[in-house]
Amino acid sequence: MVETFNNLMLGFSVALSPEILVYAFAGCIIGTLVGMMPGLGPLAGISLLLPATFGLNPIVAIVLLSGVYYGAMYGGSTTSILMRIPGEAASVMTCIDGYAMTQKGRAGPALAIAAIGSFFAGTVGVIGLMLLAPTLAEFALRFGPPEYTALLMMGLFILAYMSGGSMLKTLAMAGLGLMIGMIGIDIMSGYTRFSFGLVELGDGVGIVPVAVGLFGISEILLTAGKGEMPDVQKPKLRDLIPSREEFRLSVGPIGRGSLLGFLIGIIPGSAHIISSFVSYGIERRMSKHPERFGNGAIEGVAGPESANNAAASGAFVPMLALGIPTSPVTAVMIAAIMVHGISPGPLLIQEQPELFWGFVASMYVGNVVLLVLNLPMVGVFVNLLRIPYAYLYPCVLAFCILGTYSVTNSMIDVWIMLVMGGLGYVLRKFDFDLAPVALGLVLAPMLELSLRQSLAMSGGDYGIFFERPIATTMLGLGVVLFLFSIKPLIFKTKDWRADVGLDEAKG
Amino acid sequence: MKIHAAKTITKGRVLFTAVLLALSAVPAMAQDAFPNHTLSMIVPFPPGGVADTTARPTAAIMEKYLKQPVAVVNRPGAGGAVGNAAVANAKPDGYTMGMVLSSISVIPAADELFNRKPAYSLDQFAPIALISADPTILVVHPSLPVKTLKELVALANSKPGQMSYSSSGIYGALHMPMEMFLHATKLKMRHVPTTGGGPAITAVLGGHVELTAGGPAAIHGHVKAEKLRPIVSWGATRHPAYPDVPTFKELGYKDVEYFIWAGLVGPKGMPEAVLKTLRDAARKTAEDPEFKNAMAKVNSPVQYMDAPEFKKYWDADAKRLAGLVKIVGKVDSK
Repeated sequence: MVETFNNLMLGFSVALSPEILVYAFAGCIIGTLVGMMPGLGPLAGISLLLPATFGLNPIVAIVLLSGVYYGAMYGGSTTSILMRIPGEAASVMTCIDGYAMTQKGRAGPALAIAAIGSFFAGTVGVIGLMLLAPTLAEFALRFGPPEYTALLMMGLFILAYMSGGSMLKTLAMAGLGLMIGMIGIDIMSGYTRFSFGLVELGDGVGIVPVAVGLFGISEILLTAGKGEMPDVQKPKLRDLIPSREEFRLSVGPIGRGSLLGFLIGIIPGSAHIISSFVSYGIERRMSKHPERFGNGAIEGVAGPESANNAAASGAFVPMLALGIPTSPVTAVMIAAIMVHGISPGPLLIQEQPELFWGFVASMYVGNVVLLVLNLPMVGVFVNLLRIPYAYLYPCVLAFCILGTYSVTNSMIDVWIMLVMGGLGYVLRKFDFDLAPVALGLVLAPMLELSLRQSLAMSGGDYGIFFERPIATTMLGLGVVLFLFSIKPLIFKTKDWRADVGLDEAKG
Repeated sequence: MKIHAAKTITKGRVLFTAVLLALSAVPAMAQDAFPNHTLSMIVPFPPGGVADTTARPTAAIMEKYLKQPVAVVNRPGAGGAVGNAAVANAKPDGYTMGMVLSSISVIPAADELFNRKPAYSLDQFAPIALISADPTILVVHPSLPVKTLKELVALANSKPGQMSYSSSGIYGALHMPMEMFLHATKLKMRHVPTTGGGPAITAVLGGHVELTAGGPAAIHGHVKAEKLRPIVSWGATRHPAYPDVPTFKELGYKDVEYFIWAGLVGPKGMPEAVLKTLRDAARKTAEDPEFKNAMAKVNSPVQYMDAPEFKKYWDADAKRLAGLVKIVGKVDSK
């Protein structure tokens, strides 16, 4: 404990030096701006900035990039809440209740709670990273393909709690998402599936263009299609601050979201994307008034936003403690320190204490910077809504196209976004929920890969899922969850959907 | 008033003449000096990968010798096929180059195997220079009771088809060397493809598979911490960072040699003079101490070859890999 404290002091002496502090600030500001660009998320942000860090020293480079990473996570929630445009997969869930709150004139509280939740989650994450990194990292390594498969299966089961509409429509949309996720080169055999001869579709359909199209573009089209323009909002100062009731409702989701996000975040792979979906599902399940979800429930913003920020910190655990890139974002970060001749590996913390502890301390600093930066900005952001739609939306559309194009310099992504925008418009006209499409698309490639990897490991024997304690436990839990969710279908008892008047028979 | 007007006319005339002169000068200059505007270097992989960390310093130092900015453009997708095709189909004026990896030769062979419309063919490229070539190194989980290749082969022979290895993806840069090894030793193992070099190593670290082929830079920290045990290298000679690790060649496997190389290429049909300018710039870059230093930092020493030599090397490598893809064949026809 004393040692940790001394190390942390060392870290702060690095992080609070003027040079590092300037870069931490710059990173947070750049990140927030990048995150606010529709279609540009943390990965795009740090990828675009990576080459610029090659000339800096490794500590500065990693502090700058992690600032961008956090900032972009936060900035993404701003556009999600104000305009229903997710900057990345993790903020898809924030769009739903966040934007519903905006439409009710509660954009300010939504943004404020997102900032506070992110701050809390970020702080929990960094404390976890500091105290438990080596222990947790060893545990995280035990997550192989079978454990991953089990985790993702649990992710699928929460689908049942994701949407408020009819079960049938939810499953249909999840199916659509899973099918879109099948596009691309089959990882096991090398066959190209459903790519229409387009080389660009070899890697499959990215979640970002789909999410921007389905959520953002469709919203613009829907607004344009309305007979009369909705009133431009004129938020008052009083409406910017969350009410006591909103604070009370957010405490639980922020706490649960932070813990859940951190735990999912440390697992190698891209599972951190599902943390916000899982958090949303849990909050909805636990709520006494699940019908509020989808119509502007503050818990639907607080939970997922905290979860995705905690997952972001969690992802640094295996990266720093073991030197393994567990996600595309951490892979870029590892490249940023590798070009300086630091080889990532389990000895990183011992060999580069200044790098590790400086980084940890700068994460504390970065979280404070973001909170200080963003809470006063809530008023400015909300006032963007005063711009009449005739001017605002064409600009947003242009930014969506620019942002989507710049991620991989690919026109195909822009077309995907536009087609999804049209599809999203039609589906929403028919009252389909779109979140399950996004979850399906996120889960399909990961689930397929890990399931087939597991079977490749065992030579085709499904027994592998029952020989490994972690996988077996999680699958068992998943089955219990599954039975709970189909109980109403079998026993014809009342589901929570029926209690709140959402059952398909009534709806 | 009159004088004023006349002055204006004169001014206008001078300006007009100047513009005319400037316009007529442009084509003349273009013929005289290549390059006269920004060049671009396409990287068919996302930022942070081997191609990217090789391209950035190459571009930065080449600027010095070409006297024009060289912009690095990442065009990732489909295991490099998207970016490679972009280079193949670029205008052959020398302003578009590509920093490609050895996987460039595997993609057309795999396209042929699956009867796909090929994204590009190898004769669409003109080599400029080979920049680096890293052998892969076979690593095992430390709990595996083997220290030498002989012990590994004996263990694998004692349980055919039971051991498993991870790779960066089917026909990927880390799959090809493993298949080469398995073919030479007539061993059977389970193949667990992942989505890249990093995840492939993680799978061994976690003990979910027993072995993999890793890049010397990527495995370095883990080998030092004894979390991975290096057994044998695919290099022609021993790797400087791993002096104790023998090569397949030393151990009697003559044909088992594999490098992940990074080379600078352009589209076919560039004018001779333009190609020469680029080759010269690449040579000076490769000899530049600043460049050597940058490449040494990423654990990927410079392995320079000029165009004719590079072409010969590439042709031989492509032939070997195409043959290997045929041997591996389609997964479900096995």
